[in-house]
Amino acid sequence: MKGRERTKRTADKAEKEKEKEVFAEISLDQNGTDSADEDDIVDADGNLIFGPSETVDGEEGEQELPEIIPDYASDDSDEETNNTIGNVPLEWYAELDHIGYDINGKKIPKPKGASKDALDEFLDSMDDPNAWRSVLNKLEGENVVLSDTDLDIIKRIQSKMIPEKDYNPYEPTVEWFSSQTETQPLSAAPEPKRRFIPSKTEGARIMKIVRAIRKGWKKTTEELKEEKEKALPKFYDIWAHSDPDAKDKHMHIPAPRMSLPDHRESYNPPIEYIPTEEEVEEWKALDPEDRPQNFIPKKHPNLRSVGAYDRFVQERFDRCLDLYLCPRMIKNRINIDPESLIPQLPSRKELEPYPTALSVVYEGHEKRIRCFSVDPTGKWLVSGSDDCTVRVWEVLTGRMVKSWKFEEPVQDVKWNPNAEFSILAIAVENDVFLVNPGVSSKEVDEVTDEVFANIWGKESPSKIDWKKPSAAASALGHRVILNFSKNVTTVVWHRKGDYFSTVCPDAGGAAVSIHQISKRQTQNPFKKSYGLVQKVQFHPKKPWLFVATQRYIRVYNLIQQDLIHKLHPGVKWISSMDVHPQGDNVLIGSYDKRLCWFDMDLSSKPYKTLRYHKSAIRNSTFHRTLPLFASCSDDGTLNVFHGMVYDSLDQNPLIVPLKSFKAHKVVDSLGVLHCEFHPVQPWVFSCGSDNGAFVLKLFA
Amino acid sequence: MGKIKKKGESGAATNYISRNMAIKKLQISLAQFRRLCIIKGIYPREPRNKKKVNKGSTAPKTFYYKKDIQFLLHEPVLHKLREIRSHQRKINRAIGKKEWAVAKLLESQRPEYRLDHIIKERYPSFNLAVRDLDDALSMLALFATLPMHSGVIKPSTIKNCARLVTEFQHYVMIAGRLKKVFVSIKGIYYQADIGGSDVTWIVPHPFSQDTPRDVDFRIMATFLDLYETLVGFTNYKLYTDLNLVYPPKMKNETLDSGLAGFVVETVEGKGFLDGIKESETSDATSAPNRKARKEVEKRVKNLASTIGKFSDANAEQEEMDEDADEEDEDKDIPSAIVEPTDASEMVPSLKDAAKISTTRTASNSHKLFHSCVFFLSREVPRNSLEFVIKSFGGKVGWPETSGAGAAVAESDPTITHQIVDRSMAPGETRHDTRDYVQPQWIYDCINAGKLVKTKGYHIGENLPAHLSPFGGGKEGYVPSEAALSAIAASKGVTEESDEEDAEKDAVEANVMEADAEEEEEEDDVEDDDEEEDENKGPLDSDDEEQVYQAELEAEAAGLSFTEYMQKKDAEEKGLSKKKSTDTAGKKRKISAAEAEAAEEKELAKMLMNKKERRLYGQIEFGRKKKEEEAKKLLDRRVAHQKTEAKKAKETKNAEVATPAKAPAAAAKSPAAVKSPAAAKSPAVTKTPAVAKSPAAATPKAAKSVKSTPSKSAAVTPGSSKKARKA
Repeated sequence: MKGRERTKRTADKAEKEKEKEVFAEISLDQNGTDSADEDDIVDADGNLIFGPSETVDGEEGEQELPEIIPDYASDDSDEETNNTIGNVPLEWYAELDHIGYDINGKKIPKPKGASKDALDEFLDSMDDPNAWRSVLNKLEGENVVLSDTDLDIIKRIQSKMIPEKDYNPYEPTVEWFSSQTETQPLSAAPEPKRRFIPSKTEGARIMKIVRAIRKGWKKTTEELKEEKEKALPKFYDIWAHSDPDAKDKHMHIPAPRMSLPDHRESYNPPIEYIPTEEEVEEWKALDPEDRPQNFIPKKHPNLRSVGAYDRFVQERFDRCLDLYLCPRMIKNRINIDPESLIPQLPSRKELEPYPTALSVVYEGHEKRIRCFSVDPTGKWLVSGSDDCTVRVWEVLTGRMVKSWKFEEPVQDVKWNPNAEFSILAIAVENDVFLVNPGVSSKEVDEVTDEVFANIWGKESPSKIDWKKPSAAASALGHRVILNFSKNVTTVVWHRKGDYFSTVCPDAGGAAVSIHQISKRQTQNPFKKSYGLVQKVQFHPKKPWLFVATQRYIRVYNLIQQDLIHKLHPGVKWISSMDVHPQGDNVLIGSYDKRLCWFDMDLSSKPYKTLRYHKSAIRNSTFHRTLPLFASCSDDGTLNVFHGMVYDSLDQNPLIVPLKSFKAHKVVDSLGVLHCEFHPVQPWVFSCGSDNGAFVLKLFA
Repeated sequence: MGKIKKKGESGAATNYISRNMAIKKLQISLAQFRRLCIIKGIYPREPRNKKKVNKGSTAPKTFYYKKDIQFLLHEPVLHKLREIRSHQRKINRAIGKKEWAVAKLLESQRPEYRLDHIIKERYPSFNLAVRDLDDALSMLALFATLPMHSGVIKPSTIKNCARLVTEFQHYVMIAGRLKKVFVSIKGIYYQADIGGSDVTWIVPHPFSQDTPRDVDFRIMATFLDLYETLVGFTNYKLYTDLNLVYPPKMKNETLDSGLAGFVVETVEGKGFLDGIKESETSDATSAPNRKARKEVEKRVKNLASTIGKFSDANAEQEEMDEDADEEDEDKDIPSAIVEPTDASEMVPSLKDAAKISTTRTASNSHKLFHSCVFFLSREVPRNSLEFVIKSFGGKVGWPETSGAGAAVAESDPTITHQIVDRSMAPGETRHDTRDYVQPQWIYDCINAGKLVKTKGYHIGENLPAHLSPFGGGKEGYVPSEAALSAIAASKGVTEESDEEDAEKDAVEANVMEADAEEEEEEDDVEDDDEEEDENKGPLDSDDEEQVYQAELEAEAAGLSFTEYMQKKDAEEKGLSKKKSTDTAGKKRKISAAEAEAAEEKELAKMLMNKKERRLYGQIEFGRKKKEEEAKKLLDRRVAHQKTEAKKAKETKNAEVATPAKAPAAAAKSPAAVKSPAAAKSPAVTKTPAVAKSPAAATPKAAKSVKSTPSKSAAVTPGSSKKARKA
């Protein structure tokens, strides 16, 4: 390819050569005619391309310059030459009569002067006036005479000047691209289309899109629009093939509907719904969440005067929030008749007799009555008070029969339950007095005195001092005085009347002591204490002792000397205890308002815990013969219950409240301090204050 | 032995998922999660045991069902939301680069999601969709009233909301489904019966809404999105079930003309339903009407199933309907000779077809305004009244200034009622043939289910209280107006219809009579009618009812129960002393027994355990609170009536002192008109005696009690005492 091109080029050159020759001839002709350019004609030997050269002198001034033929004239590598031997040194042809070959392969004969030796050359140079300006053309092998222009150029180069003579390096600059912004376009003509050069990368990108559209990968906006229209109608029968009874999805809780408006919300509500000004103020003062309704009812005289509701948007918004933010949960609304919650009990009428009304008031004590006790025959009542007296009353009449004065407030007083004796046990401070009140029949008094007379002769091993009272005291009825180291709070008799027990809570291990009158003996059954002893009680049938500490009840067998039961009432502080006459049930009252019924056959936990008193229970007690029990409390009430205990084990005790007496006034937060049943009759006694006085009351 | 269970690996701990965990799982933002939850109807749950779910902590935290969230994972809308998000980023980038053309193009190509599948999923049956219509309609009704160019909501959305609500109302109107209307201070509540379940929605009063700042309209817009779709599909279903074209065409595309702007089109052709409507009213002789009837017959088969329900439920009413209609309408309609024994045997006759057009209205009461022609003056809520009147079969017109499409012009002589809310302008002419009533009359008629007397509703009169048809408040207090209307309702259908007739008579009579005598005339006509009733009326009404009515009457007069009882006792004492002592003894005995029972109850409470006692206490507390509230309301009513009576008395005295020369002046003040009536009617004092009197006399007293609520309301203990003395 390259070779062919070269040959082609050489061929072109040959043609050009011919043309030049033709030009040369013409120019020769011209030269022949026109003598003005004689120099040129002479100088130009064959290869003249310049045409008429510029005048060196510049005589002619403005001269029309010849047309420039745009070829590589200045480049000597492509200089037209006949000799085509290439890069071969000419001395290789020194012996030959030619110097090379032309383009057609014909030999180029050596120029005439070429084979001259140095001497000839010198001679020639001496002859030739142009010798000084001749240069050997090595390729052609002949001398070339340099023109004046050439010489001038050489001279200028040698003197380091710009080779071209006419070149002005200091021409004024034309600012094609200046710093000044042209506000107006140089030309108003629109940019011609021919000047547009399409971007190839953009073309590629466009082609990519076009291809995608053609192949359906990409859609035009029109197509998209069409598709959208075609896709599905906006609304259609969405439930066409659905099951009409279809249910919600699993576990869905539908949102509750908004409540429907009531009369209040009317634009013209009934007059009673319009709130007063105070109510409006009250409504405004409430937090928005606490308001019963979120608007103020208002009466409008006509529909025209109803304005816009300013919270409408807010309300809808709140509803929206409720719908998506509120946790949902199914809550069962309690829809029960409140009456059904009240236990169904047998009628009170079927459970008679029971005390129903106040019948006797025993007045006389000057200070608070702490304790009282009823004589086993039921005729007499003995009471001890903070005014340091013990008084005996006749039950039926309310008459005071006897009175003893002590030095300290009376803590407890108990009548011996055995009707064969007539003994009172009175606890005053550290002492317990056994007194024969002398209100019973003569025989009983005599028997009692005989018992007391007999005890002094015997030897007594007890630690506690059994003292004989002074003559004056014994005249008043005092028979024995027991002196304790600590305060005695409680005295309890055994049913047979020979034993009695006392409690000194502060005495530690010796808190409980059991005394036997017939033997003048005192025992401390427990070596150590298990807590603050509150009450003790003998079992009515068995040789058992119930000991109530602050929280528990321990039942000991006194003969075997061991613990049988421990009852857990679950109360904070036991205040009272009583044992059912049959011995299997225990009643406990507590300072924390609870009343516990224990069925000891059933469990060590209470069978029933009742909490109906509003303050501390002071005492709870069973009736000795009838199925009744009672409790009294600091709230001033005395409650009487029916408490039936059945013999069969599969039947639970029946408890029915029978009567609640507002027995006494509450003074200094103390109400009814003690209550006790009559031993035979369905009567109950209570003590407390009444109209400023301290009295005992009998409810029958 | 089984595998040992580890804590927190099964059960409640894994059934629930907290909100943050859910968001992480779904890999979306909180806002998108919210949007998804709203659309899909997923809501937090309250775990039964919070500690088990929340790793032993009871701190407040929202929990979702894990399955609900997993259910969200596969939601196509979730993917679309992601697409939207990335698309939005592209738009934002284009805007950031100021490539507006690109941004515009992207904007137009924003991906959209449809909610059809979600509607289908959330409401698998149409009934379930109806259940949620309450909120949807209320919301759309609100947005329909929002300002168009506030920038909060797109105008197109607002237009669409308005259209959907109007379409629904249009359906309710033509299907006659409207049940109750209540004008509250918040807006107007409507209740319609759609497929057997009640739909209640509220339309705000037509004023610009106050939009509070703390309302997040994005949340509302999400809900709106869902509701628009739901209501659209519901409307489609409702319309197509009636064999109508959905969406209904509008005469002009603006919704200004309201319901009147809709052109009803059935699948069969245009103007079909108009034919039916005409057949209801006019004689069925013209050819096109016959054709229409034939088509109706055809349609019976399609609709038979849906109608079955209504026809059973309203059998009685329809019968009456027929009776009433037969005379004027159905003479030429062939009917089945033998009474069908079974519903399936029913041959659809033209009679049935006529029935259908009424059973579409579900009950008799939907022909309430059948014989009335209304004209709405200015300043009355046109849209609401038009909807309501047309729903109940009335014809309605309005001035051109309030919109096109009025059925009658103001000068039309057939107009029976003109609704006015403002006294007449000096230039206006007053037509003698019309009754000028306030808008509340329409609403009260609908809620009462009959045309109530127009007395008290005229312009310038003190309107009677507008009561909620949805019942009173929680406290269980019944205002005396409601109690009296309840009696009227319980009296039976026959009397009601009679009364309606009476009302009509009265209206007709009014047409004849002069203005000034209008009210008196009305009264007279009613009185006459009542007397007739007394003669005709059932004689077997027992004493209990009488006593009950007397009690109610007393309550209306402002007596508490005990006062009433005392009064009653006193009355009886007056009648026979011996008897009264007997009753007194009895009373004491009763009270002793009651006291005994109360004491026993009190004692029995001692044995209740803690849980029961607490529950009982709560119930009792609530009951007592309600009672107190009710008592407060009653007391206030009594006090108000006392002062009213006092005022009336004073004005009466003043009149007596200065004899009124102009009767017209007296007629103008309603209080003055009422007061003599109040003094005259010895309703309270009479009633206890009436209870004992022979049965023949009782209906009269009862009737007087029932028919004169306004009179008895004015009676006070003081006045009754006076009457007794007299």
